[in-house]
Amino acid sequence: MTTVLRQVALLTMKDLRIEARGRQTISLVAVLGTLIIAVLGLGLGPEGRVGGAGATAILWVAYLFGGVLSFEKTMAVEREEAAMAALLLAPVDRGVIYLGKLIGNLALMLALAAVITPVAVLLFGFDLSAAPLAFAAVMVISMIGFAAVGTLFAAAVASTRLQGGLLALLVFPVSLPLVVASTQVLVSVFRDGEPLGGLGLAVLVAFDAVFLVTSWLVFECILEP
Amino acid sequence: MVMGVDIDAGPPPCGETAVRALDLCKQIDGRPVLRDVSIDIPEGRFVAVLGANGAGKSTLLKVLATLVRPTSGELEIFGRRVRGDAGPLRARIGLIGHQSMLYRELSARANLVFFGRLYGVPQPAERAMHLLEMVGLSDRADDAVKTFSRGMMQRAAIARALVHEPDLLLADEPFAGLDPPSVLALEALLLALHEAGKTIILAHHDVDQSLRMAQQAIVLRQGEVVVDRCTRLLDSTTAIREMVTA
Repeated sequence: MTTVLRQVALLTMKDLRIEARGRQTISLVAVLGTLIIAVLGLGLGPEGRVGGAGATAILWVAYLFGGVLSFEKTMAVEREEAAMAALLLAPVDRGVIYLGKLIGNLALMLALAAVITPVAVLLFGFDLSAAPLAFAAVMVISMIGFAAVGTLFAAAVASTRLQGGLLALLVFPVSLPLVVASTQVLVSVFRDGEPLGGLGLAVLVAFDAVFLVTSWLVFECILEP
Repeated sequence: MVMGVDIDAGPPPCGETAVRALDLCKQIDGRPVLRDVSIDIPEGRFVAVLGANGAGKSTLLKVLATLVRPTSGELEIFGRRVRGDAGPLRARIGLIGHQSMLYRELSARANLVFFGRLYGVPQPAERAMHLLEMVGLSDRADDAVKTFSRGMMQRAAIARALVHEPDLLLADEPFAGLDPPSVLALEALLLALHEAGKTIILAHHDVDQSLRMAQQAIVLRQGEVVVDRCTRLLDSTTAIREMVTA
C-alpha cells in the first residue's frame, strides 16, 4: 500500500512539475474559461444577476470545455517522445498510472475553478453567499467524477489516430449526469434553502465511485494493445 | 531450408534462459506482424535481430519488453511465463526505442531521478548523475530535454533505459541519430554491458556492425524467423545482408 501511494504521489508530482515548468495548460484553460464566462455573462445583460443554480450551470460550461482541453494537454505530454511507453515499462500497476494522472488532472481542474469562479462572482454578481461551502463541496465532488471520466477517455483517445474533438464528444454526454445532479443539488440548497444532501448528492457520489473503480480496472486494457 | 539459409536448432544454452518464445504471433489491425516466432536466448548473450523495414523487429522487441501483448504463443522471460501481471519482470527489462521516452519539459536529471524512483532505485539522484556522466551529458544535466539535439536525446534515452540496471536490455535502432563518436561510444557501452553479464537484444539495420557485436543472429522476414544462428557459425554474411536489404 505504501508503495502504491508513493508511486501515485511520484506520478502526480511529475505532472504538476511539468505544468509548473511550462504553465501551458493552466494558463490556456484559465483564459478559455474566463472567455466562456464573459460570453455567457454578456447574454445576461448589464443587470444580469444569477443565483447559485444558474451560476453552477454557467460555470459548468466553462469547466467542461476547460477540463477537456486540460485532459488533452496532460495526455499529450505522455504522447510526446512516447513517454507513456516508459511508464508502461516500469513495474507499476496500470491503475496506479491512472490514479496519478487523475489526481494531476483534478488539481488542474480545481486550479481552474479557483481562477474562474471568483472572476464570475466579481463580473456578474453570482450570488454564492447563501451557501459557499455547500457550493464548494458539490463542485469538488463533481470534479472528481469529471476528472475520472476525462482521464480515462483522454487515455483512450490518445491511443487512437482520432483526436481533436473526439474527447469532447465522449466526455460531455457521459458527464451529463454530473452536471444535472450537481445543478439540482445546488438548486435545492440555494433556492429552497435545504441542507446539503438528498438523492442528487447520492448520484454524484455514486457516479464518482462507479467511474473511479471502473477506470482503475479497464485502464490496463486501454493502454496496452 | 528457408531462403537458402538453414534454421539452426538454436544456439547451445550457456546458462539460464533469458528469453524463450514459442510460436509467438502478433496481429495488428488484422495484419500478421509476427508469425510463429520461436526463439531461445540464453542469459548473458548478445543477440542481433535483423530484417528489412517492416519485418517485425520493433514489434518483437515490444513484445519481449511486455509492452505489447502477443496475439498467441507463449513467452518466458528469465524462466517466468509472461501473463497478466508482468510487473516484477519489468524491473529486469530495459528498452531503448525509436523515441526517447522522456518528458521533454523536464531536465535530463529530473527524468532519470523520476524513473529511478519509479523503479525503486536506491539513491536515484546519484545514479542519475552517474549515468549522465557515462553518456556524456553531465554538463547538460539540468537542461530541459526539449533543448537537446537528436543525438543528445538518444544518449539521454540510453541513460533512462539503464537507470534500473536491467538484466535484459532491448535496443531498437539505438544508433539512430548519433554522430560517429557517439556510435563508437554506444557500441563500447553495449559491449561493456554484455561483458558485465547483461543479455542484450539489438535490432539494427547495419548487418556488419550487428554481426561484429553479437553472438547470435536472428533474421526476420515478414514476421517469420528465417535465420537463428550463432554468428561464429555463419559462413558468410552475404546471404543475411541480401535478406535484410531485400
